[in-house]
Amino acid sequence: MAHRVVIVGGGAAGMQTALELKSRGIEPVIVERDIELGGKARGWYKLFPSFTPAGDVMRPLAERVKRERIRCFYGQEVTEFAPDGVILRSGERIPADAVVVATGFTLFDAHRKQEYGYGLYDNVLTSVDLERMMNSGAVTLADGSMPRRIAILHCVGSRDEKVCQKHCSKVCCITGVKQAIELKQMFPEADIFNFYMDIRMFGPGYEELYREAQERHNIHFVRGRISEAAETINKRIQIKAEDTLTGRPLRMTVDMLVLLVGMSANYENAELAKRAGLELSPNGFFRTVDSFLGAVRSQREGIFFAGAATAPKSLADTLAEASLTASAVDEYLKNSFNK
Amino acid sequence: MTFFAPFTIPFIVGTIFLFVAVATKWILWIARLPKVDRRLIAHNFFSLGTLAAIWEVVRESLLHAKIFRRNPLLGFMHMSLAFGWFLLIVVGWIETIVYLGFEMIPLQGHVFFKYFMPLNGIEAHIPLFEQLMDALLLLVLTGVALAWFKRIASKAMGMRRATKHVLFDRIALSALWFIFPARLVAESLTAALYGGNGFLTGTLGGFIGELLPTEVLTTLYEPAWWFYSSALGLFFVAMPFSRYMHIFTEIPLIFLRRWRLRPTLERKSYDNFEVEACSRCGICIDPCQLQEDLGIHDTQSVYFLRDRRYNMLSLKVANNCLMCGRCEAVCPVGINLTTLRINSRAKRRNIPHEGRYRYLTSLDRSSGEGKVGYFAGCMSSLTPAVQHSMERIFEAVGEAVWYADKDGGVCCGRPLMLSGETDAARKMVAYNTDLFRRHEITTLVTSCPICLRSFRENYHLDGIEVLHHSQYLDRLIAEGRLSVKQGEESYSYHDPCELGRGSEVYDEPRRVIEAVGELREPRHSRRDALCCGSSLANTVIGDEQQLRIARRMTRELEETAADAIVTACPLCHKAIARSTHHTVVDIAEVVARNIAE
Repeated sequence: MAHRVVIVGGGAAGMQTALELKSRGIEPVIVERDIELGGKARGWYKLFPSFTPAGDVMRPLAERVKRERIRCFYGQEVTEFAPDGVILRSGERIPADAVVVATGFTLFDAHRKQEYGYGLYDNVLTSVDLERMMNSGAVTLADGSMPRRIAILHCVGSRDEKVCQKHCSKVCCITGVKQAIELKQMFPEADIFNFYMDIRMFGPGYEELYREAQERHNIHFVRGRISEAAETINKRIQIKAEDTLTGRPLRMTVDMLVLLVGMSANYENAELAKRAGLELSPNGFFRTVDSFLGAVRSQREGIFFAGAATAPKSLADTLAEASLTASAVDEYLKNSFNK
Repeated sequence: MTFFAPFTIPFIVGTIFLFVAVATKWILWIARLPKVDRRLIAHNFFSLGTLAAIWEVVRESLLHAKIFRRNPLLGFMHMSLAFGWFLLIVVGWIETIVYLGFEMIPLQGHVFFKYFMPLNGIEAHIPLFEQLMDALLLLVLTGVALAWFKRIASKAMGMRRATKHVLFDRIALSALWFIFPARLVAESLTAALYGGNGFLTGTLGGFIGELLPTEVLTTLYEPAWWFYSSALGLFFVAMPFSRYMHIFTEIPLIFLRRWRLRPTLERKSYDNFEVEACSRCGICIDPCQLQEDLGIHDTQSVYFLRDRRYNMLSLKVANNCLMCGRCEAVCPVGINLTTLRINSRAKRRNIPHEGRYRYLTSLDRSSGEGKVGYFAGCMSSLTPAVQHSMERIFEAVGEAVWYADKDGGVCCGRPLMLSGETDAARKMVAYNTDLFRRHEITTLVTSCPICLRSFRENYHLDGIEVLHHSQYLDRLIAEGRLSVKQGEESYSYHDPCELGRGSEVYDEPRRVIEAVGELREPRHSRRDALCCGSSLANTVIGDEQQLRIARRMTRELEETAADAIVTACPLCHKAIARSTHHTVVDIAEVVARNIAE
């Protein structure tokens, strides 16, 4: 009889782990909180740095899960997990031989940086809102007109002690560059400004894209965080910042302000970790054994991680890690049960 | 009779030393008072304030009424020592006068009366005095016993932590602890040898007399009196340098305070009275959240005043304070701890270049017109929902408003004051005062309690009524200008330090909340409310530590299980919002949402 592995979370990490396990003859079961698979990447427009449509990656994954007849629980939340299974909110217990935690992350709630006016001003949106707008094919201001000047603010809820988010969310810098280029292609006449602290272009093709944004698309990069935003009478956004390269304070009025929201740890992690006897990193993400050979292993035998549950990760990193998780689970099952 | 014996020498030396030392301190402190303060004394000397001061001295310096209210046992300890000793002196004095008439008797004659005038030397002996003096001695001894007890079990007396003392305090304390037991022994021995029928010394004397042979008693007699005199002498010598200087400082302080002298943002001679009036009782330690939440044990007011008094105040101690005012609220002496802390910081200020303030000239970003001025405050720029709500409310009641800082304004100056930059702060004060005057407003509404306190305490805005927005909203509702709908939602209210303890505004925000929903109180509220930890006044602790302070405070708010947490300070709002997943709103938002159509 095939071993059963419960995967908590049906996003990119969960689906990829499930598919890899299935191909190794193991029976994966996915428990998804939402009513369908896909996680945060669902509804995303295009992926950096290649501008690949997100659907081209996510759709085949979900279709394969269906084709492989992998059992999925939808709209179900896991309240407790242990190496021998998980307990759902409904009280139902799913027994298993191992558990993979692929619970991902929570988007930083931009309302918490009230000074940027998210939720207060019509033309302040998050990078996620913008992605959805682009997906729906209509990027406009609240009144339906075209933006002529756009500011993109990096590190909203990342590297910000004031909101207890000390870590770097890793993907926002390149997302900011990607979205700036997309906006520029949509509105060639518009001026686009990226406000940043540091530009972290570590991945393959990232730096090249960053140069392209400046050289080919004439996108402006200002080193300095925006301190506050206010709405003018005609619904434009007045921002205050400091250009730290010239050392001068700066006031600017833009039509649209895009907040690159970071990745926060899930609020539920603390309770789940406590019940399962796992540890958390100071930033609230699950702690792995180490970041080398134990990068997908937890402190308890039989509980594994995949994806952004342990740290902010790009989709590419997540997919690669999920395969690694599947192989680690396989090895564990072989060693523990087939003696 | 000469009233002299060699054993009295330590007492006499100690007493003379004490009088000279205290007199020197008083004279120097008063002589160095600034002219304003001296004028205040001259002006208020013959006033009801003086009478009130006398009554306060009895109530606080002798009876310790405030400590009684805090913890009866602790109050009794302080009262028995202070009032008991005082009565011993007074009754002893009367005793000598009754027996010897109004002749000139040196001080040691009064103090060691039993030695010079044992019972057998008195013809018309009045037993009442003996019983009374014994009763008083017992009262003081109870106080001493309680003081010992407090050392081992301070919790039983309402104090979780007691003060850690310096060397001089320990010397004085030890001497003090010995004085009254020594007196008991000396007087009992005297009773054993010469008779006496007080219920305490007489009984004990009779007991010793039966137990020990006369030769032993006579050998012990002189050393016992030597010991008593030496304990007194040592205590008196240590007194001016120890915590016990508070006895001679609190009394003039009470008078000066009644004559309206106050500490200011700059240090002055008056501060000496406040600093040395601290008895280091340590009552300020327990309420300090730095102590409770962060385990910082060396910056509480008692240690700050001690360090300042002995000129060993470090920048770290001076700066490591939230200035939440929780210690000031419980200080039995009523010392202005916050102002003293501020002016200690002022000593180390940087004086910036004048050119830096050039931007202030001809700067006016204000907008609108009206008799009511609205000053949101810098922190409110980070919580724009407050400003929006206020604008909606102003619109709803049709108030003509002049917006002082809608498009950016100049800081009220309090953050600078709190870090001791008084000169820089004055530039802001002057600028804003001029701005308010120029626009001829009669009411100034601010959404920031930090600004509120600064306008009230550091500005001279005669003719302009300064209100916090919670007060303004309360008034609008009370006057019927703003009609709100009573909703189903429940709100847990957090008292901001600068609004509550700092500006004594407790009831208005509560009435406003009750007008729109259900009010719930956290465990600590009003004068006892906890600080959010993000105070501008503390420049030492980091974000992590601020968060730890905030978490305990927020937990209490969450425990009320209210639908939302409400506060009335943008800084508290930020601090609470980052330490909870519950909804946090400003009181203005709550009102704006519930405006009746």
